[in-house]
Amino acid sequence: MEETDTSEELTPEEKRNKRFESWLEPLNVRFVSSEAEEAYKQRARRFVDAYCVREPDRVPVMVSVATIPAYLYGSNSHAVMYDYQKMADLWARFNDDHASVLETFAIPTVVPARVYDLLDLKLYAYAGRGLPTNAPAVQFVEDEYMKADEYDALIRDPSDFWIRVYLPRVYGALEPFSSLAPFTDFVEMPGQTLAPFMRPDVQNALQALIDAGRELSKRAVKVQALARQAIELGYPLTTTGAFCKAPFDTLGDTMRGTRGIMMDMYRQPDKLLEAMDVIADISIQSAVSSLNATKGFKATFPLHKGADGWMSNDQFNTFYWPSLKKVIDALVKEGIFVVLFAEGSFNARLERVNEFEKGAVSWLFDRTDMARAKQVLGETCCIMGNVPASLMVTGSPANVKEYCRGLIATCGGGGGYVLSPGSAALDDAKLENIKAMVDAAREYGRYRE
Amino acid sequence: MPGDWAQWTPEQKREWRLNNFLNPANLQFVSEKAKSDYRVRAQRLVDVYNVKEPDRVPINLPVGNLPYMNYGINLRTAMYDHEKAVAACKKFNEEYSEELEYWANPMVTPGRVLDLLGYKLYSWPGHGLGENVSIVQFLEAEYMKADEYECLFSDPMDFVVRRYWPRISGELEGLARLLPFADFTSYMSHRSFGIFDHPEVIRAFEAILKAGKEAVRMADYSRRFIKSLEEEGFPSQGGGGTTAPFDFLGDTLRGTKGLMLDMYRRPETVIKACEFLLPILVARGVNSGKASRTGLVFIPLHKGLDGFMSGEQFDRFYWPTLRELIVSLVREGLRPYLFWEGNCTSRLEKIKDIPEGKAVYRFEATDVMRAKEVLRGRVCIWGSVPVSLLATGTPEDVKACCKKLIDHVGDDGGFIMDASAHLTDAKPENVRAMFDFTKDYGVY
Repeated sequence: MEETDTSEELTPEEKRNKRFESWLEPLNVRFVSSEAEEAYKQRARRFVDAYCVREPDRVPVMVSVATIPAYLYGSNSHAVMYDYQKMADLWARFNDDHASVLETFAIPTVVPARVYDLLDLKLYAYAGRGLPTNAPAVQFVEDEYMKADEYDALIRDPSDFWIRVYLPRVYGALEPFSSLAPFTDFVEMPGQTLAPFMRPDVQNALQALIDAGRELSKRAVKVQALARQAIELGYPLTTTGAFCKAPFDTLGDTMRGTRGIMMDMYRQPDKLLEAMDVIADISIQSAVSSLNATKGFKATFPLHKGADGWMSNDQFNTFYWPSLKKVIDALVKEGIFVVLFAEGSFNARLERVNEFEKGAVSWLFDRTDMARAKQVLGETCCIMGNVPASLMVTGSPANVKEYCRGLIATCGGGGGYVLSPGSAALDDAKLENIKAMVDAAREYGRYRE
Repeated sequence: MPGDWAQWTPEQKREWRLNNFLNPANLQFVSEKAKSDYRVRAQRLVDVYNVKEPDRVPINLPVGNLPYMNYGINLRTAMYDHEKAVAACKKFNEEYSEELEYWANPMVTPGRVLDLLGYKLYSWPGHGLGENVSIVQFLEAEYMKADEYECLFSDPMDFVVRRYWPRISGELEGLARLLPFADFTSYMSHRSFGIFDHPEVIRAFEAILKAGKEAVRMADYSRRFIKSLEEEGFPSQGGGGTTAPFDFLGDTLRGTKGLMLDMYRRPETVIKACEFLLPILVARGVNSGKASRTGLVFIPLHKGLDGFMSGEQFDRFYWPTLRELIVSLVREGLRPYLFWEGNCTSRLEKIKDIPEGKAVYRFEATDVMRAKEVLRGRVCIWGSVPVSLLATGTPEDVKACCKKLIDHVGDDGGFIMDASAHLTDAKPENVRAMFDFTKDYGVY
């Protein structure tokens, strides 16, 4: 988004509306028909109304089909991770068959395994590497990728820490970066500063980055073509935008690990707080610049370690929430719509987190008590989610439809509800159960004729 | 280095380094004479560094481009054709070293490296300057903007890679396209790698690789050359190097104008920046000094001299972190060797306040007689027969100047005879006069 003088004077809500507008009225799109254009706008408007805690024409549905398109047609995730053409073909076929019924155009979210292979990524196990070839999802491999005594290095010069310490640990191909000297030690006359780049292993690491970039672009071409097609056919993309994390999770998930960060809350609370403050600033800068570059409107935060049972309310209030709120506030100020995906349950946190202006943030709940959530947050926040993955996998379409009816009755009042599963991916869900969700919204979710 | 190095006192570390300098382990001297010459010359330097009387006044001479001109090549050729630069210095050394007690080293700005990087901090012969010009000119600009102090403080490496390098090197502009490195640590970080497919990013990487290769090639030449000279009996006077925090900020980041304004507009930020840069510059000095045989750490000083700022500004902005840099290097058993460029006469009382007998001050236009009065016994003084005198005077003038220096500055040791700057235009007979006279009259 271009910064203009007037944008400085806009309120967060006005900025947010501008971002919504550019989603509602996409530029440079040639819809296949006027019906497609109308359908796009109707569907997008339905989400925007719900996000803004207003009544749309009916309850919107957000579903993810994960790797169902691969398995439905006899393939598996390993095959589509490695063969981009096959991936694109199978997803195209799935959309031909099911997009209009699901009101959703499926975009592949399978991981770029070739990129992981090239970089020797240690953070995930995935089909064919640490997991069987028919395994549907990736598995995160937690470890202390950052040591307990490295907070000062991170705080003093975060990018130096990432380039020379962290990346070499989590990407095998970047291991040679661990022997670089800090680039901040530059001298006016270039010479010896460049010497490390002469080393074959460092050169290989740079080459690995280029190779990974090339590989990712090959895949991106296919995914982008599907995304463009989706819009042209009248399906707004609801999963776009930036991913962001709570600073506590950034540190706890892929850096210190759960065990490490839990100890740090007791052993070095001040360092932890200081590091989270540093990470908060970087997260803000990163999310804002990426959304401005892509003209996006939404930042999604998958929340992990602040859930009920992971820490006390005192700890939540001291360690988890303040730095997360700092990031959210900064994004809201920029007019970015925030989606907080509360994995697990957030029952004990609901009152605490209710501190944003109406329509600025939304909550995607997994197993939180939805009636209480609606009661506490429903005035100001759009809420989403809670259709259990277990039900989608093992239940019948009738069970699903009934569950959804109940949710709409509980959460749909006054708008501000999106019917959606409570987990990110539904790899083993039955297709007919996903259809039953959409049916339920159509049947029970109407606000007006 | 010995295993319990960290426990050693600065004095022990310094002793160990000096001993290494006097008795280098890995040199194969060409002759017994070379070996004893080396020993005599090295001892002479060690004595003056320690602010004591040596056998006689040692002489140093920055010969500059003289070897190239002598050999009939210009600076541009020397910058680009390393074989020729080496040959020129060899010839010069064969002709003059024994007599001058000095050897020239082809420490020339690496032209090809600058080309490969599209380097914007300099113009040089054939690149912004005439083919036959004999200098490399620094090009000052605001390479760091006034509102970027915070970026530097909060994420220095990010600032350097994504903002600074693309600005100072045309071939590295693509680095500005890189995403914040934080993105590579986050959820779904693989998305971030797409940027490495960008042609401009690839181009920047390739430039770094090629320039790195060239830089190493040149450094190897230089290393071999120094070693061969040492083996012929000439101790190296080269060491590590670092920069005063204020100069680092003023020369290559904010520029003179920018930093001068900052002293008024955001004085606290300037002080914070100098303090922020201090550990980085200490580390540079320590690392490069450790790697050298002499343990000297060269610090050329620019913006603190008389006329660049008031005494009050010097005391507030320039000196505190520079002093701390000196003290930190001394603590590591290294020997700070500061080149006070221009005239620093008004700073003498202030800069006296450093550990006694541990540093070398080289002066250009400062009143060295006055410097000796103030710094007597505390600092080794290195200086300074005016290059103007060497270029335009007679041998008699030069001798008179040397006599005055030896009588007043060298009277109790701790003095190195030198010209005030590079000798490019000096008359050979004047240089000879300087040497002959010092060797004769400078005996203690």
